[in-house]
Amino acid sequence: MIGRRGWIGLGTVAALIALWFLLTTITGLVSGARFPSPAEFWLSLTQIWGRGYAGGQLMTHALHSLKLVAMGFAVAIATGIPLGLWMGWNRKAEAAINPVFLVIRPIPPLAWIPLAILWLGLGDGAKILVIWFSAFVPSVINTFAGVRNIDRPMIEAARMLGTPRWRMVREVIAPAASPLIFTGLRLSLQASWTTLVAAELVGALVGVGFVLNMAQQDLYPGMILVGMVTVGLLGWATTALLAMVERRALAWNMAARD
Amino acid sequence: MGSILFQNVDKVFGPSSSGVKALDNINLEIAEKEFVAIVGPSGCGKTTCLRMVAGFEAPSAGVISVSGKRVTEPGPDRAVVFQQFALFPWKTVRENIELGLRNKNLPSGERNTLVEAALKLMNLETHANAFPHQLSGGMQQRVAIARAYVLDPEVLLMDEPFGALDAQTRVVMQEELVRLARVNPRTVLFITHAVEEAVYLADRVAIMTRRPGRIKEILDVRSIRQAENWDRFQKIEDVMDLESFVHLRTHIWKSLREEKGSQSI
Repeated sequence: MIGRRGWIGLGTVAALIALWFLLTTITGLVSGARFPSPAEFWLSLTQIWGRGYAGGQLMTHALHSLKLVAMGFAVAIATGIPLGLWMGWNRKAEAAINPVFLVIRPIPPLAWIPLAILWLGLGDGAKILVIWFSAFVPSVINTFAGVRNIDRPMIEAARMLGTPRWRMVREVIAPAASPLIFTGLRLSLQASWTTLVAAELVGALVGVGFVLNMAQQDLYPGMILVGMVTVGLLGWATTALLAMVERRALAWNMAARD
Repeated sequence: MGSILFQNVDKVFGPSSSGVKALDNINLEIAEKEFVAIVGPSGCGKTTCLRMVAGFEAPSAGVISVSGKRVTEPGPDRAVVFQQFALFPWKTVRENIELGLRNKNLPSGERNTLVEAALKLMNLETHANAFPHQLSGGMQQRVAIARAYVLDPEVLLMDEPFGALDAQTRVVMQEELVRLARVNPRTVLFITHAVEEAVYLADRVAIMTRRPGRIKEILDVRSIRQAENWDRFQKIEDVMDLESFVHLRTHIWKSLREEKGSQSI
């Protein structure tokens, strides 16, 4: 169902498309060499959808990028959440690991790309590595903060009930920290897309970022826009999927906020 | 079984040389199935006394033992009811109550029987599958009490358990607790700053001084309750009108007032 907010949003999008049409096609204020008209965009889209561009059809590029993001993101959260839980729960682990984080954190994730390509070349391995570098940090930091923010009486109640260590982590610590863990996951997902596209722009053989790179070299604005819109839609779809998982997992918490 | 003993207990927060002394030489013996309330001005360390019996904090000097065993860590033999309930919001009422039994590795049939009994005891049967946030404060505290009772603990530690409830719910819960104490007597250490509550519920009331907290006086309420036959009344307001009740209450009030009066503001 589309609510009132939804209609307002759709209205804005429609207005932007009308403005686009006005500027590029009707008045010609923006030349096609700088920004494609709707017609040029459509031509580029049908070209890459059917015959393909930069060595593959749109679906091939999109699915390849999606696969890499999914893998990098999965590796990042599979390592990040446990490490964050451990640091939050164990003061010694935090004391040992946090200084390393303080040094590594200021390095922009994109700065790892040259090293990753040097190590693993232009293939998938390097991409997954840089996604891991970028998505790992927000997962760890937010999970850690989530554990640190747990109300002390809740932990004490669990200890009073004689809860053994693993059950404590699974049934008390992790759920109590989960609202912030999900905040970390959203940031991680965003970081995954950002770094993947950047890595594909720098060096790749397939993928949406590679399409963007080729289109730039071919001076092909229509195809550049197709690449951008594709990345936007993929990012939006994966974020929406994550939000759905979050709503289900945090049903108890959402209801408490009403 | 079920006794609590404080022997020369001190508690200092912070480094022992420059720290703040919270408790000074606490000596208190609570017999099996006895209900003792501790009252005192805020910041006097009464909650700290309870937290040390629970094993959440260690005494700086002296020994605390339960049933003759020295307390070193938290455990299900000393069930705690917290002021802020401290339920697990992602678990249903039933799951909250059941966790302690799962930790004891009881088989599921036995767990179910015990959980059902606890639900019934606290009139929670119809809310077994609700989540805590769907319940009122009073109902949530019933869950917390059921979660404590189901452990069959040697002692029950209640830290201002009705402090977060509104006045009417509070009265209902006080009457409920008296009913529970009759059905299923327990050793109870009860912390409160509400004087009437202490007199109404406890066998003995310990009055503490301001910080560093010491035990100033211990009043025997039970002998007066029995002599004046308070139990013939069902409702708290009827008991609170009795001259013997008023007398005790006024005595404690004045004693606490002295502590507040000597506090520098």
